[in-house]
Amino acid sequence: MRIILPKGRLFSPALKLLSRVMELQLPEAHVLISPDGRVLVARAMDVPVYVEHGIDVGIAGSDAVEERNSDVFVPLELPFGRCRLSVAVPVDKRVEVEDMDGFRVATKYSNITRRFFRKMKVDVEVMKLHGSVELSAHIGVADAIVEIVDTASTLRAHNLVEIAKIMDVSALLIVNRISQKVKFEEINALLRALRREINGA
Amino acid sequence: MTRGRGEFFCIAEVAERLRSIFTRWGYREIVLPVVENYAPQIRKGTKFVHENGFYLICPDATSRIIANFGDVEKMRVFYIGEVLNGGVRGEWQAGIEFIGGREGWMQAEVLLVAITALEALNIQDFYIDIGSLEVWRRATEGIESFREDIFAALFRRNFELVERLPLTEKKKRELWALFNFRKRSSGIDRIDRILRIVGDNRIFVDFGTVRPLPYYTDLIFEIYSPRAGRPLGGGGEYRVMGKEAMGFTLNLNTLLSLYAPRPRKRRVIEGVDAKKAYSLARRYVEMGIPVEVEQ
Repeated sequence: MRIILPKGRLFSPALKLLSRVMELQLPEAHVLISPDGRVLVARAMDVPVYVEHGIDVGIAGSDAVEERNSDVFVPLELPFGRCRLSVAVPVDKRVEVEDMDGFRVATKYSNITRRFFRKMKVDVEVMKLHGSVELSAHIGVADAIVEIVDTASTLRAHNLVEIAKIMDVSALLIVNRISQKVKFEEINALLRALRREINGA
Repeated sequence: MTRGRGEFFCIAEVAERLRSIFTRWGYREIVLPVVENYAPQIRKGTKFVHENGFYLICPDATSRIIANFGDVEKMRVFYIGEVLNGGVRGEWQAGIEFIGGREGWMQAEVLLVAITALEALNIQDFYIDIGSLEVWRRATEGIESFREDIFAALFRRNFELVERLPLTEKKKRELWALFNFRKRSSGIDRIDRILRIVGDNRIFVDFGTVRPLPYYTDLIFEIYSPRAGRPLGGGGEYRVMGKEAMGFTLNLNTLLSLYAPRPRKRRVIEGVDAKKAYSLARRYVEMGIPVEVEQ
């Protein structure tokens, strides 16, 4: 069974949880695959894509799964990586979402953002960025941002304020649809072990 | 997977083999237009507006066939084409639809067409998992208000979502058993009769198999191989103007990852006299023998 882990904030808790239920040989520094080829590391946003295309199991944020709209099973929510995906604007330009027609919204999450505003029947221009999204609204390149918010300290540091939550985010265990069938026992054993570990049973 | 320009040839080769199998089973090819008038019941495709009209480019074939051929009594058709899903790059699909067949026979035939189609591509290591929406409808009788939540759990394969519902422990155990039901037979007469007609040990009954398409009525199936990370295809039963129907779609881009291209068979004609060479070539072509005049 091959497992793919996300780089970034989910990596440590994911590794900690998995190493309590199975033996893992980790990739060496600056290498993205373990010597036995069973553990892989990828950008958080790409984990669902790898799992959809054949890696058996992965850990990814629900934001990444939603943004990538990947056709994967999601059998387990994990007790870490909890935060939210929100709309934020400069403090001195606070508005309601309904009044954001014509706004330029910068985000890494262009698909989720489009879906959210379409559902709200608000016509915005979505500007795709790959990081440091807060900067765009702070300097006026964008009118608003859609970004992950945890303590909101980064928003405050850039004079931004959260005006609407789009979704709650947490880490998920995701499983390839075919692996769930052909490695049924192995994957179910991992799920049982993780559930026991999470629930403390 | 074969990439680049070679992929175009491979898709054509796979399509040719599938076309041959579908035709041998008595299915007629249907060529659907690239652009379809927009209708809410037609799935997928890329929407666009032209002179105040709404259109779809390369939408899903099954929903178009349901929309355009619902009035026929009985029909066996197949299609091969690209399907877009909101973007500009799509997936090549080949599939069949059988409308108005006899109960049990039609379902077995559709499964057999899928099996022989894959075998014609020299793909033997595949499996077909059959699920049943009716089984889930029956299992959720009396708890209809939770049906949507239970299906959502099933699509994600996340039983914790069911655990959180205010259901009795007995009902949860029953649903858990269905979640994990994967056997050679179902214990349901209708399904087991179809399996007996098909008689292929690569078919499993897996009630955890669901396909999130709105038109399926009961049996649904998914075709997969341990060598491919994505489903090779899938299908199911639906109803068209009161008639039962069933079909499937194969995902050609995924099939390519398993397909080993074969050398092209043709008679090569060499010579310096063009008239003689082409005269001979013409006779071969008329006899049905593929040729290539070497130049």
